[in-house]
Amino acid sequence: MSIKAGDQEAARGNSQLQVVVAGGAAIAKKSKREWQEFGLACLYMSPAILFLVAFTYIPFLRSVWLSLFVTTPQGATARFNGISYYSRIFNLDGSGRSEYLKSILTSLYFALLVVPLGIVFALGLAQLATLKVRAIGFFRTVFTSSIAISVASASVIWALIYSPTTRTTQWIIDLLHLNAASLLQHSGTALLAVAFVTTWTALGFNFIVTLAGIQAIPQELYESARLDGASGWKAFRYLTLPLLTPTLLFLIVINTIQSFQAFTQFNVLIGNEGPDGSTNVFVYSIFTAFWKDNRYGFASAMSVVLFLILLLLTFVQYRVLDRRVHYQ
Amino acid sequence: MSTSNAPTLHELDAPQPGVGAVLRNGLLYVVLGFVALLVVLPLLFALSLALQGPTLSPSLLPDFGKLDWSSFGQVFREEPNLSRWIVNSFVVSVVVTLGQLVTSALAAYALALMKFRGKIVFFFFFLGTLMIPWESTIIPNYLTITRLGWKDSYQGLIVPFLAGGFGIFLLRQYFLTLPYDLYEAAVLDGCGHGRFLWSILLPLSRPALGTLAVYTFLNSWNQYYWPLLVVDSPEWRTTQIGITAFRSSEITVYNLQMAATIIVMLPTLILLVLGQRQLVRGLTAGALKG
Repeated sequence: MSIKAGDQEAARGNSQLQVVVAGGAAIAKKSKREWQEFGLACLYMSPAILFLVAFTYIPFLRSVWLSLFVTTPQGATARFNGISYYSRIFNLDGSGRSEYLKSILTSLYFALLVVPLGIVFALGLAQLATLKVRAIGFFRTVFTSSIAISVASASVIWALIYSPTTRTTQWIIDLLHLNAASLLQHSGTALLAVAFVTTWTALGFNFIVTLAGIQAIPQELYESARLDGASGWKAFRYLTLPLLTPTLLFLIVINTIQSFQAFTQFNVLIGNEGPDGSTNVFVYSIFTAFWKDNRYGFASAMSVVLFLILLLLTFVQYRVLDRRVHYQ
Repeated sequence: MSTSNAPTLHELDAPQPGVGAVLRNGLLYVVLGFVALLVVLPLLFALSLALQGPTLSPSLLPDFGKLDWSSFGQVFREEPNLSRWIVNSFVVSVVVTLGQLVTSALAAYALALMKFRGKIVFFFFFLGTLMIPWESTIIPNYLTITRLGWKDSYQGLIVPFLAGGFGIFLLRQYFLTLPYDLYEAAVLDGCGHGRFLWSILLPLSRPALGTLAVYTFLNSWNQYYWPLLVVDSPEWRTTQIGITAFRSSEITVYNLQMAATIIVMLPTLILLVLGQRQLVRGLTAGALKG
């Protein structure tokens, strides 16, 4: 009996041991599996990581690094320069030359032209596209069409529209008594002319987003508003517009960011800093320093400043998007 | 435009029979047609110039009696590189699109469905790339490509764009919407990660993959700044650089220039008609990355 009991005890002890051993093995197995999973995950992510490190992170850090140096025309660092390029950009170096600040302001001014124009056109088109008539789908596609048109091809076409040879915009020049052959050559109209082209290329996108916003407004609201005697302009002003505010805020931020990044249309339509420097937006003056003057260090400092500006706008964007979520 | 009268037109929602309704409908079509015409006016202008023959003083409207379509063929002979530019753009856009699909799907899979330590670190690594604008990396990238001797080559035009944070998050987001049971069932059946991703997840994710593909192709086709930097010789130009360089060359005749512009716009316009839904979804999502 005692033997039996001892056997049982031994057996119990044995099984406990087995459990412990099995448990230890399970832990070892589990951690091995975890490591396997980790390795596999790294393997799966490695192509993306490789390309993003090589062409986004390292170049970005190198931009910051280069911005602190005077560089050779081959792009090598020549002499440590501290932050003097930055103080040059913001006119803090006491030189009194503020052309880079002016360039940032030109970008801002450009955004102030593009954004309201874009919103107004998009609102108009989206209102039209909510009409319930046959073949409205066709008109929606037409209104969206500029999504598929590149800024480069749009600029090539508009360069001819503005060109004195086609005389298409001559009537505006006559109307305003401009002393220039084309709208692109007058310091008072050049930036506006580029802004108009930009608005046209962005039209499709702004339209489709606005339309989606309007379609998200419950139809019952319009019906009850009509019962209350609000229709037409009143319904638009007091119902559509307030409910569309989140969408419009979103469009304002997106369009502002894209305006600050605009380059193609300036290079194709103007190709230099514009009449009296009136179209020398910040991205274009970076291009001049980088590409035309080969001042890689200075251009890098400018591109870091651009990064900071866009970062600020992106933060605003996320704040706006947060609000957008709360509204809906 | 017509923000003020549109809501009034709103009231016509339900089509009513009668002469008044027909008249009003007719009026609506006039308004819609007129606005549509305004929107595509620059395109019609381009077409009009392309059809006017080699005149140096084109008018706004072509002579409809003798439309000269020959410019669309002639431009390929006058600018022998045009077909090469189109091939270049196609090769670059297709390879970049395929590359983005592969790198994004793999990384998105790991982020969405695999459990591993330090995932949050990788998550923020990818998220961070969305904060860095392309313009702030362009100078070192240009110096790198130059040092590698990759100017005037497909590598130079393609390799920097083979991965992107946008694609990774777009696919990750989509993968997360699919039921997790699917994965557990597959694992019970002895299905490994690779096979699950390839034969179950990707076929189910066709909408998201389509969105990413159309968006990437369009962006790649329309790229201007980067090819402008890394292309020196005419035969390595992409379509966007080609048509803008065409403009500044001396042999420019308006009809040929507009014909070339219309030709290189066709692929993306066709893409819009065929894949409008994907395109719109992609652009709307893509804009969020700022």
